[in-house]
Amino acid sequence: MKLAEIEELEQIPEELVEKVEESVLNTFGSIIGEELEYIEYENGDKPLNGIIGNIAVFNTDHTLSLMLAIPKDTALYFSKVFIGMELPFESDDMGDLVGEISNILAGDVAANVEKVGFRGQSSLPTATRGSDLTLFMPNKPPTKKMKFISENTEFLLTMVLSESN
Amino acid sequence: MSKIKALVVDDSKIMRSAVKRALNNLMLADFEYVEAKDGEDALEKFNKEIEIMFVDWNMPNMTGVEFAQAIREQGNDHIPIIMVTAEKSMGKVDKALNEGGANEYVTKPFTADKMHKAISDYFDEEGNIAGGGDDEEEDKSFFKGILNS
Repeated sequence: MKLAEIEELEQIPEELVEKVEESVLNTFGSIIGEELEYIEYENGDKPLNGIIGNIAVFNTDHTLSLMLAIPKDTALYFSKVFIGMELPFESDDMGDLVGEISNILAGDVAANVEKVGFRGQSSLPTATRGSDLTLFMPNKPPTKKMKFISENTEFLLTMVLSESN
Repeated sequence: MSKIKALVVDDSKIMRSAVKRALNNLMLADFEYVEAKDGEDALEKFNKEIEIMFVDWNMPNMTGVEFAQAIREQGNDHIPIIMVTAEKSMGKVDKALNEGGANEYVTKPFTADKMHKAISDYFDEEGNIAGGGDDEEEDKSFFKGILNS
């Protein structure tokens, strides 16, 4: 897959979106042991009370940013299934956990998008906790918002394709 | 049964705990742990008493593969290095095993079964390090088979 210049792209190529969706379903299916469902999600402007995990898969030309918006209840559930106990939402360990989950997702995404010609490496993850959080991107690069739900969880993934600096 | 000194290297405290918990549950040996938060920290904490290492890849300051290369360059060829990482592409596996000198590659999220398969050959029935030896080469050949297919 040869990506066009970002200015020429109105949206992220569908084959990239499909690979990322596949990675989310596989990764979170393994972590929480529940089947996830992908839901088309256009209105992503509802403020979040929770935690955001940021990570990117990048090469010299392009950066695929992944932003996981995880509501508080889902973050607490992740901690329960991942480490066997519920972590305090305000703790540093919760940020550590969401960073690690983002890292695991990015590892799978990097391997998966390589299959369609996007070869890149993962950045280090960051996590941001707060209430009334809203994600927005300056300059409106190609963006895709996705929602995933399972029996005990729900979260949003915003993926953004931009030029590498 | 003497304790096996294991170095666990990961920038995530949660993951270091997960690795230690998995190793304790496997009951292959009685472990004593040294923890490090990145490759640089691990190089500082490394000593000749370390018998096995569990190393993440993607860390600040010095990656797990750079750390593994440094350890091998110091002549510590006999110590098993188990990469425990989210990196899954075949190119990364190849780099860790062949350039980094790692012995095994476990992808996150890992299960107890996955970890057991990766490391059980490195322990004898008394819980001592078995040496790896021929098994190590066999395992690398197995991975190379995947990489070349």
